Formats: sequence, structure tokens, C-alpha cells
Amino acid sequence: MLDVLFALLFDPLAMGLCLAGVVAGLLFGAVPGVSSTMALAVMLPLTYGMTPEHAMMLMLGVFFSSVYAGSVSAILLNIPGTPGAMMTLLDGHPMAQQGRAGHAMSYALIASIVGGLFGWVFLTLTAPLIAQYALKFGSPEYAAVVFFGLALVAYASSGDTLRGVVAGVLGLMLGVVGRDAVTDVPRFTFGIPNLESGIDIIPLAIGLFGVSEALAAIEKTPPKEMPRMVRLGSLMPSWRALLSEAPAALRSSSVGAFVGAIPAAGSAVAVAVAYSIEKRLSRSPEKFGTGLPRGVVAPEAANNACVGGALIPMMTLGIPGDSITAVLIGVLLLHGLRPGPGLFESQPDFVSTIYIALLFSIILTAVIAGTIGIRLYNRVLMLPRRILFTGVILLCLLGAFAVRNSFFDVWVSILSGGFGYVLVRLGVPILPLAFGLVLGPVLEENLRRTLMIHKDWSAFFERPISLTLIMIALAVLFGPFFRSLIRRVGLRRR
Amino acid sequence: MKIRIALSTLATVCAASMAAAQSFPDGPITWVVNWPAGGGQDTTSRLVAEALTKELGVPIAVENYDGAGGLAGMRVLAGADADGYTIGMLGSSSVIQQYTTDAPVMMEQFSVLSFFGPDPGALSVGAGTDFDTLETFISMAKEAPASVINGNDPPGGASFISAAIMEAALGLELNKIPYKGYAPTVTALLGGEVQSATVPIPQVLEHNASGDVRILGVMAAERHFLAPDIPTFAEQGFDVVAGDFRAVVGPAGIPDDRLEILSNALVAVLTSPEFVEKANAAGYMIEPLGAEAASARIATFDTQVYPVLEAAGLVTNPRK
Repeated sequence: MLDVLFALLFDPLAMGLCLAGVVAGLLFGAVPGVSSTMALAVMLPLTYGMTPEHAMMLMLGVFFSSVYAGSVSAILLNIPGTPGAMMTLLDGHPMAQQGRAGHAMSYALIASIVGGLFGWVFLTLTAPLIAQYALKFGSPEYAAVVFFGLALVAYASSGDTLRGVVAGVLGLMLGVVGRDAVTDVPRFTFGIPNLESGIDIIPLAIGLFGVSEALAAIEKTPPKEMPRMVRLGSLMPSWRALLSEAPAALRSSSVGAFVGAIPAAGSAVAVAVAYSIEKRLSRSPEKFGTGLPRGVVAPEAANNACVGGALIPMMTLGIPGDSITAVLIGVLLLHGLRPGPGLFESQPDFVSTIYIALLFSIILTAVIAGTIGIRLYNRVLMLPRRILFTGVILLCLLGAFAVRNSFFDVWVSILSGGFGYVLVRLGVPILPLAFGLVLGPVLEENLRRTLMIHKDWSAFFERPISLTLIMIALAVLFGPFFRSLIRRVGLRRR
Repeated sequence: MKIRIALSTLATVCAASMAAAQSFPDGPITWVVNWPAGGGQDTTSRLVAEALTKELGVPIAVENYDGAGGLAGMRVLAGADADGYTIGMLGSSSVIQQYTTDAPVMMEQFSVLSFFGPDPGALSVGAGTDFDTLETFISMAKEAPASVINGNDPPGGASFISAAIMEAALGLELNKIPYKGYAPTVTALLGGEVQSATVPIPQVLEHNASGDVRILGVMAAERHFLAPDIPTFAEQGFDVVAGDFRAVVGPAGIPDDRLEILSNALVAVLTSPEFVEKANAAGYMIEPLGAEAASARIATFDTQVYPVLEAAGLVTNPRK
């Protein structure tokens, strides 16, 4: 591995490509609506003329830095660019509104780097072992893990659990639209061909979070005296404050790396689990959602740890865990490399190359984002609010269009913006809705597949992993209800 | 002197007339991919587009249209101007959706330019199963109908159709479990959730080599170049030919001269040893066919697949 390290380190083109990838990822990822998958797809044609080693340096640079940069629009604009950044806005944006955007972004960056390094160690040390564990996950386990994730989102989002559940169910209902994954029959499409592939999360999230926020802001302040959106404040939190987040960052990183390694579970589940664990462990859970640094640290450490985790099934089994690693496999195939169990034996140097490329990407992301990135994002924020808002909305709608080159998605964004505004006015949290849309189809597909294979609901309760997950999820959902019931009974006795 | 003037005039006239004949293409060509970036359709499209750029001397922009199970991109392609500046790639799913969708795009709306190659189906079983040979698989599947759990695409997808063609040809009944694409199907096969899968060879090649999966047979007339030691179904006495294919098309009504230029350029690209080597390394079988032969191949697939769709109860838009 060392020889590969030095070969790449002293290869100016390889390092230059990694740097270019990191910079591109930081720019793409920070734009609301441009997901990591899209950033990689844009860079894909550039890799044709390269050696596979150079291609990996570029692509992993884009991959890692764009996952981090997703936190930027979540914190500054309250718009999650990717499902993995949906938890970050809960505390990140309030921090920004309180004039602590600089702190929030530093916390996000440092947590991302910690998470990234943790995921990297996890990948290099345990890849083959974890691959076998990941294979134990079948349809019942996927269904259980998604149910678990949804229950935790309802718990973690602010406000009462009932409203959270209502929003989650709305999201699940929207997720039903489109061609059914099991029978391929179109549902609730009302004869509109564009609805056949369902409602995409990116335009919906852009509308729900971005457009609705703009509507609310326009209503609140007369346009003349609109203040700057958020203030950066000082950049670095104190060392003591940073150190106190270390245990949370490590816990969340391990969650992220594990969940990332499960094919198809993805970073949306990882951030929900990490955030909820921190909220549960906290002595003051009520402070979550009001601008707590830990609420930024947990999801950011988790989603960046996912990167290393997601590479495990890709490299050891040749199975892409999500749409991002699917693009990466496409790159490898173009160069005649077939990831899978044989890769470690036939191409050990290339495996080392992937490890080292990811490590360089993490380090370069830390350096570039830390020195230039955050200051640059601040420059953009210095723009007058009116101009910034217009720019953001334009970028949002452009991002919605770019997801699948479809103008239909722009309308989805605008409509869900109005819908999100109404929900916010009614005090219904919109985060569970977005999670419901992302996770609902995965839940349904795996639930129905389990029933097709095992022909019985008992499959969920006979398998240890799914049984455990379902029990915890039920405890989370009905815990508050039983607690208040017990308290009421206790009061009556007195 | 006079002769020289005459010659130069002649040369100019010739050059001008050649320029007129070759004025197509004189601008960028858009290549529509009806699946997201990174998949098989996208990888092959980009490989061809890159080589075709050199062949035609104009830039080719690949655009991905994701959505509606590939229909979104097909609508864009069918609705584009038939001037030869918008082309794209289609596969077996495009033929199938004509009969299984309520608002389909019909194959008549396209002019076929060339065939890219087949992607034959194969039958693979998990290493932990009792199916040692194709024969035991078939006899055990016949003994207990719907007892063998097979992983495949959702109804209408390529590996679902492969499974359905196999069922129809051999008189079997499998418990066909749908997965969203090849990757989760292979995961399920490795994890033992399904006993068999009907995905193409490249998807299971590595796992066959490592001993986690056994490939029992290839559903093609010839063996697969990546797995020359694995026999076809026909070699083992079972007449099953199934699988996906890829072809390059444009909207219907492209003028004949332009169609010919594009078709010839595509065949030239697809036959160049350099391209074939690259595509083979990426796992793709190449079978360069011109416009007419490609249309015939697509028509053959159409005739073969329609009764299977009908038997599976998938036809909602019957053939007129």
C-alpha cells in the first residue's frame, strides 16, 4: 500500500485531479438541488481518457467533498441538497439565524472530516468482514431498518410526535405515486405520464424547504428593510466546545459507517439514526432543533462516514449501495475493471488506490473547505438579501429541472413550496414528510417482497435483526403515549 | 494555363458538391439516454458517443432522461426533430412497454439506425442450493411449481422477461420476486434470499469465479465471450433464447441520406477493433448491424416477446 501511496503522492496529475475533484464537489454540493450523484454524473465523461487510478482520484474527490458541501445549503439556506443533509438543517439553520453560521459550518466540516476518517478506517480494516454481515440483510431486514428510521424521524423532529407522524404519513402517501415497484402498475398518476416515475425527492425538498422559506420570508418583512439572511459570526468554536462534541462525532460516525455498508439503506437512514441517538442520550433533548452544535455534528459525521461504508459493498461484492456508488461502478466498468470479490486478489494495488484516493479526498476537503471554502460561502452571503433570495430561488428551480431534465419537476417544486408553507403555518413539521417520501417506497417494496417470499408476516418477528429493530421502533413510537398513561394512572391513585 | 484553370475550377466544383453531400452533420448531435448516468445504457451510450464524435467530426452531447421506467427519454427522442441531430439508444424494455403501458411510445415512432449488441440472459443459482446442473434445476422446478424463488426485474423488465420466456419454453412455474434492477437482485442471490436469478452474465461473472454463485446456462445461440466455459441452454438440450439488446435509433422520418450517413458511421465505429476491445473489456457484447438488419432483429424480438407478455397477463395495450 505504501508504494501506491508514494506513487500517487508524487504524481502531480493525480494530486491535481483529486484537488480539482474536491473543488468541483465543494461548488456543486453547495448548490441547492445538485446532489452528489449529479455532481459525479457531470464529471463522468471527463474520466474517459484517464487511467483508472486518475479517474478514482477525481471521482472520490467529488464524492467526498460534495457530501460535506451538502451541509452548506442546509445550514445557510435551510434547503437540504441531498437526503443525507436533511437532518443537518434542524439545528444548522437556527444556528445560522442566531448569527453563528460560521460556527455551524466549522462544526459541520470538522464532524465531516472525523466521520470521513472513521469511515475510511472502517473501510480499510473491515471491508470483507462487513460485506458478509451486510449480506445478512434481506428484504425483511431492509423493511425493518426503514421502519426504524421513520420512527426515529418522528421522534427526532421538533414538536409533538402526533404532528410528526401525520407529516410522515403524508410523505408515505406521496411516495405511493408512480409505478408500483412490485407489479409495475401505475398508481395515482391521473393519466399524467410524468407522474409514472413518482415524485422525486430533490424537487420536493427544494420546494418544501426552500420555496416555502422564501414565501414565509416575503410575508414577514417588507422588502425594503430585508436584513442579511444569516450572519457568519466567528468561524472557530473554542477547543473546549469542539472536544465536548468528540464522543457524539464518534458515535455518529460508527452509525454512519455501519448503515452505509448496508446496500440500499443509504445516508437518509444513517442521519436519522445518528441524530435520534444523540437526542436520546442528551441531558437536555428539548434543546435539539433550536441551534445545538450537536445537532449538526451528529448527522454530518454520520453522512460522511457513510462514504467509506458505501464503498464496502461496492468493492467487495460489486454491488452499488446507492446511486452514487452506482456511478462509480460505471467508471470502473468503463476502464474494464469489475469490482467484486476477485478485485482484492487480482488487483490489490487498485484496491490500495481507492483507499488512498479517499484518504486524499478527505484531507484535501478539510484543507480547501477550511481555508477558502467557508470564506467564499460567506462572500456569497454578503450579497443583499433580495439578490441572494432571487438567486437562490433561481438555482433551486434550475436544480429541480436538472434532476431528470424535466420541466415537470419545476412545477413539483413550486407546488410543494406552497404546500410546505401551509404546513409550516399549521405547525406541521415538514422533515418527516420528506423522509416519508424517500423511505416510503423502500419500505413498501421490501415489505411486499418479504410477504411474497415468506408468505407470512411472522418473517419479521422470527429474524433477530428485524425483530430487534421493530421492537425499538415501536418503543420509540408508543413510548411517550405509555409514559403519559402511566403518569395519569399514577396521579389518579394519589 | 487554361488546363490549370479548368482543373482548379473542376476541383472547386467537386469540393463544393462534396461539401454539400457531406454537410450533414455540421453541428453537435444530441444523444438521448433514457436511463440515469452510470447504468449499462449510459455506459454503452457514452462509449459509442465518444467514438462517434471522432468518426463524424462533430461533438455529441449525451443527455440522460430519467423517469417513467425509461419512457421519459423515449418521449423526448420520439418528439425530437427528425433531422438526424437527435439520436439515442433503446433496449428490449422499449419494445415491451408498447404493450404494457397505457400511454406508450410505439416503435413506429423511431427510425432504427444500427444494432449495438445483445445482452443475453443467463440462469444463475446460489452456491448453497441443491441445483447442481440445469437439468436438476428444471426437474425440481417442475416437480413443485412456484417453489423455486427467482430474483428478477419488476414485470416488464429484461430479467423478468427472460424468466418468463424460460417458464413458457420449459413449462415451469417459478416464484418470481421483483427487485429494482440487477444490483439488488444479485445481492439477494448472494444473501440466499432468492435461489436463482435470470440476470445477464457480466453481473454474476465475479461471483461465479469466487464460487458464491453457479451459472447453469446462457440463454443465447452462442456462449458468452466472458464465460466461454459455460454452456448455452441449447447445448444442454433446452431451447431457450432470451435477454436484453441495445440498438441506436432516431425519431421516425430522418431523411434517407442522413440516415445512411449515421448508420454507416455507427457500423464503422462498432466494427473498429479498438472500440470492440474497449466495449468487451467493460463486459458488453458487440454485434454491429446496419439499419435494416437491426430492424429485423427488433421485429424478431417483438414477435417472440408478445405471447410471453400476453401469457403473463401484462398486456394492457393489445396489438391491433
